[in-house]
Amino acid sequence: MSLIRFAIVLAVAFLLGGCISAPPPKYQPGISNTQVLIQPAREKLGVGKFNAAPGVENAHLSVRGSSLNGGSDGTFSGYLRDALITELQTAGKYDANSDTQISGTLTGNRIETPIKTGTADVAAHFIVTKSGSTVYDKTFSAHHEWESSFVGAIAIPAAMQNYATAVQKLLGQLFNDPDFAKATMKSGSEGEPASAP
Amino acid sequence: MNVGNHARTLRAAGLLLLACGMLSGCLSTKMYVDPVLPQVSKADIPVVPHPRPVQVLFEFQTKGNANASATGEIKPRVLAVAEQSGLFSSVSDTPANGEAGILKISINNVPVDKNAAAKGFGTGLTFGLAGTMVTDGYVCTASYSYGGHTTETTVKHAIYTTIGNHAAPQGLTPLQPADAVHQVADQLTWNALKQLADKQAFNQ
Repeated sequence: MSLIRFAIVLAVAFLLGGCISAPPPKYQPGISNTQVLIQPAREKLGVGKFNAAPGVENAHLSVRGSSLNGGSDGTFSGYLRDALITELQTAGKYDANSDTQISGTLTGNRIETPIKTGTADVAAHFIVTKSGSTVYDKTFSAHHEWESSFVGAIAIPAAMQNYATAVQKLLGQLFNDPDFAKATMKSGSEGEPASAP
Repeated sequence: MNVGNHARTLRAAGLLLLACGMLSGCLSTKMYVDPVLPQVSKADIPVVPHPRPVQVLFEFQTKGNANASATGEIKPRVLAVAEQSGLFSSVSDTPANGEAGILKISINNVPVDKNAAAKGFGTGLTFGLAGTMVTDGYVCTASYSYGGHTTETTVKHAIYTTIGNHAAPQGLTPLQPADAVHQVADQLTWNALKQLADKQAFNQ
């Protein structure tokens, strides 16, 4: 091997040395999401199956040569499901055996990490059933941007971090949808007060 | 390939390696916590006659965006401070039993420029912010809600980071990054709880 080739191989090896393969950080509930869910008029929900639509990347997303992997079950739809359960538990609105169940399909899942602005786009179709009958059926998509960097050591962790924020925004859209509130209202409730407790 | 091309290619490869080395984070950084914010402990917190259970909702933000990793790391410290304060009969991040109040705390990490003092940050240092020292601002917004009443307060703090051989800020002790952030989060939470207590938030 010539000296030139050796130097190039060494340089490439050096660059690849920082490659990582990791899931997004453990999901944390957003205060604004909890404020909405915690309303007394909302009933407890169970969370059913979550999967991904055909063609939607559900296991790995490329981040500058590193890999952002799915959640605890290795999928991004599983990460979304876990995130939803975390949000409901924090607001005291989770009951695995509830008559009202929510399930979902990941319909979009992308992350981009150019030098200047990173973006994540996550979309999902949510279905709420009561006693087996569908009472809610809607799709939401969340777009999230953050300041990226030329330096991979900064850009890659930032991208993984901000994927979780995109999921939090997606769930925020669901929770704030008036039709979702109506579909998950306790029987006999007139509606929600204007402000959180 | 001629000798000139070989030399250019070798130089390029060498520069690439050098750049990689520089970008790998080998420059030393030191962090210093701004000294202005009062040190608050349980002794400074007014006694609440009838402490109630509380559910703590906490979120760490970076430039206003939720930061899940930092939230996960800092949340136990915020819960611990709330527990140690003696203001509550029980502290939890999940729904509390009984007549529980809700304590919301967010800490937003924001970049601070030369107008730091005007924005209420870091007046404890006298030298400039230019060069190889940067300032991170931390804005803590806290509110306590119970029985339809909500009391709010805001506390600000700062961390100075020097890069390379920059002189240390006078009188301040260098800290590891995690220790500095932990100290700031603890001090913000103690001060926020004291301010809420001074506003009689927990006496309802």
